[in-house]
Amino acid sequence: MVLKIAFRNIFRQKRRTILTALAMIVGFTLSSVFIGWSDGAYGDIIAMFTRNRIGHIQVHSDGYLDKPSLYKTISDYSAVGEVIQTIPGVEAWTPRVFGAGLGSVGEKSTTVQIIGVDVARETETTQFDKKVIEGRILGDTFSHDIVIGKGLAKTLSATLGSEMVLFSQGADGSIANDVYTIVGILESGDDASDRVTCYLNLEDAQELLVLEGRIHEIVLTVSKISQVPKITKAIENRLNDSTLHVAPWQEVAKSFYRAMQADKQGDAIGRIVIMLIVAIGVLNTVLMSVLERTREYGVLKAVGTKPTQIFRLVLCEVAIISVGSICVGALLGVLANYLLSIYGITLPEEFTYGGVKFQTMYAEVNARSLIIPAITVLFSAMVVGLFPAIKAARIMPAKAMRTH
Amino acid sequence: MKQAKKNDVIVTQGVTKVYAADGIPVNALAEIDLTIRSGEFTALMGPSGSGKTTFLNIISGLDAPTKGKVWLSGRVLSDMSGNELSDFRRDNIGFIFQAYNLIPVLTVEENVEYIMLLQRVPKAERHERVTAMLEAVGLQGFADRNPTQLSGGQQQRVAIARAMVSEPAIILADEPTANLDSKTGAELLAMMNSLNLETGVTFVFSTHDPMVMESARRLITLRDGQIDTDETKYSG
Ligand SMILES: Nc1ncnc2c1ncn2[C@@H]1O[C@H](COP(=O)(O)OP(=O)(O)OP(=O)(O)O)[C@@H](O)[C@H]1O
Ligand SMILES: [Mg+2]
Repeated sequence: MVLKIAFRNIFRQKRRTILTALAMIVGFTLSSVFIGWSDGAYGDIIAMFTRNRIGHIQVHSDGYLDKPSLYKTISDYSAVGEVIQTIPGVEAWTPRVFGAGLGSVGEKSTTVQIIGVDVARETETTQFDKKVIEGRILGDTFSHDIVIGKGLAKTLSATLGSEMVLFSQGADGSIANDVYTIVGILESGDDASDRVTCYLNLEDAQELLVLEGRIHEIVLTVSKISQVPKITKAIENRLNDSTLHVAPWQEVAKSFYRAMQADKQGDAIGRIVIMLIVAIGVLNTVLMSVLERTREYGVLKAVGTKPTQIFRLVLCEVAIISVGSICVGALLGVLANYLLSIYGITLPEEFTYGGVKFQTMYAEVNARSLIIPAITVLFSAMVVGLFPAIKAARIMPAKAMRTH
Repeated sequence: MKQAKKNDVIVTQGVTKVYAADGIPVNALAEIDLTIRSGEFTALMGPSGSGKTTFLNIISGLDAPTKGKVWLSGRVLSDMSGNELSDFRRDNIGFIFQAYNLIPVLTVEENVEYIMLLQRVPKAERHERVTAMLEAVGLQGFADRNPTQLSGGQQQRVAIARAMVSEPAIILADEPTANLDSKTGAELLAMMNSLNLETGVTFVFSTHDPMVMESARRLITLRDGQIDTDETKYSG
């Protein structure tokens, strides 16, 4: 009966219902687009940041991540790689060797970071080939080719074909130095890194640093980024080796991840704005309708309706409008996010986030962008609806009857 | 203290109501002692402001007296909690107000069955009783209409049907004919009278209408919140 009266009241006061619903629909849709869009943008940033650079998961010798050292190596990396490759969801893996040293071209020298890569695997995993913007990628084993970052090339005034001398320290304590030919210039998207990094063939790097078959890092990518935690666990279990540490991208790029989480707090502000829109819309219209129907509630109470039943009646009306509005809002939200996910919004100027450049931002259609606004709208409508509901429940029939 | 007898459905003792409007106390009722027995058909008369509405509100528990006690069917109203009072009204008192008695979003049938719904009377029985009651007030065929599609007199008849259908002990009506023309008002009173004779339900109603005096068998006149006259025309 309460439901029946509630429904009919909603249809009786069409204009008021539409106003209330409109506030809720606008609130819902805004919130949905806000979430869908920010998730989409952050998703894109994360995807590019991980896929092109740090990968989704990394494996190191235990302790390397906290305090990198030339001596913390993985020796039988092919075996580890083979195990990783068998885990479902893993796309590709690639080994890396790291070293620090001094690089000189002609008169100029600067400190450099040396990264030894398996060219074929690196290309497969992080699209190494696409980042070389001038010249060519490294040749196969023991080529004595070197690819240097764009910024580094500038610092050293190096051009393709120049000879570059690297000085470093080998793992056996010896002084290491060798001459390489610059065959390519690379742009990774992270300018800071491009100013110091040079790339060698894995074998060349191992020879220079006297590492003989050992590496520092295995980077791997997965087909679905959402499965990273699961796959991380799976790898840990399969390797079952306490000397190895498996880290998801969130751990590898801690500060990047934290900055992103902090930015996402912006969501909360959006949510408060939506709550306010809904709250004001609901309070206004529902309160008006309760005041207008004082006599009606008076009659209902006089004939024996309990205050709690009146209370439920008012909240029921609010709930019905909320659910209806959420359905309409969900349709609009999905539609808007879908369109934004295809066409995106192109910013007048590109911006850089975590060293990744962006210009067009795409939205994402996901469950979060529906569930969070739905809870927000329902919650704020019900909370605000409490006030008129209590008011209606407290109506004194004797007084209500006197107001004509 | 007076002891309520079995036949006394409404007993008041020293009922006083003081309103404090804008700080100025208004004595709406002063020390009313009254007993209404089962099956009586009683009219409350009196000039405007004499306290008729206030008295009806107090004996139905819609309003609390400033002083004094009310027994309804042997129970003291002031001893009941809010929810108890709601249930008590639902089961024992039928109301007919001056106007706007009906819930606009419910049909005639739904308005009449509303109280039985609160009482959880089974659907089939509800329907049966509503149909019989609508027939008794001459509204057969109007069950699916909306209140807005009825004349004032028809609406008041629906209100009577609603008040009577749950078979309460008492029906209270505050100027039930005030919004009707005299002919319709007379018809309505005649109907209330015959329902009273048929079912023995106790009727108490207030009125300004001198014509109503004709049909009432007990006539109580209020003046300035006090009982002025109280005459019973013939014992029933
Ligand atoms: N809520 C209230 N606040 C203050 N005074 C009130 C209130 N209700 C009634 N009164 C006063 O109490 C007195 C009795 O009012 P009541 O409504 O009972 O009279 P009545 O006999 O029903 O009058 P009418 O014939 O006009 O309906 C009046 O003087 C009125 O002004
Ligand atoms: Mg009155």
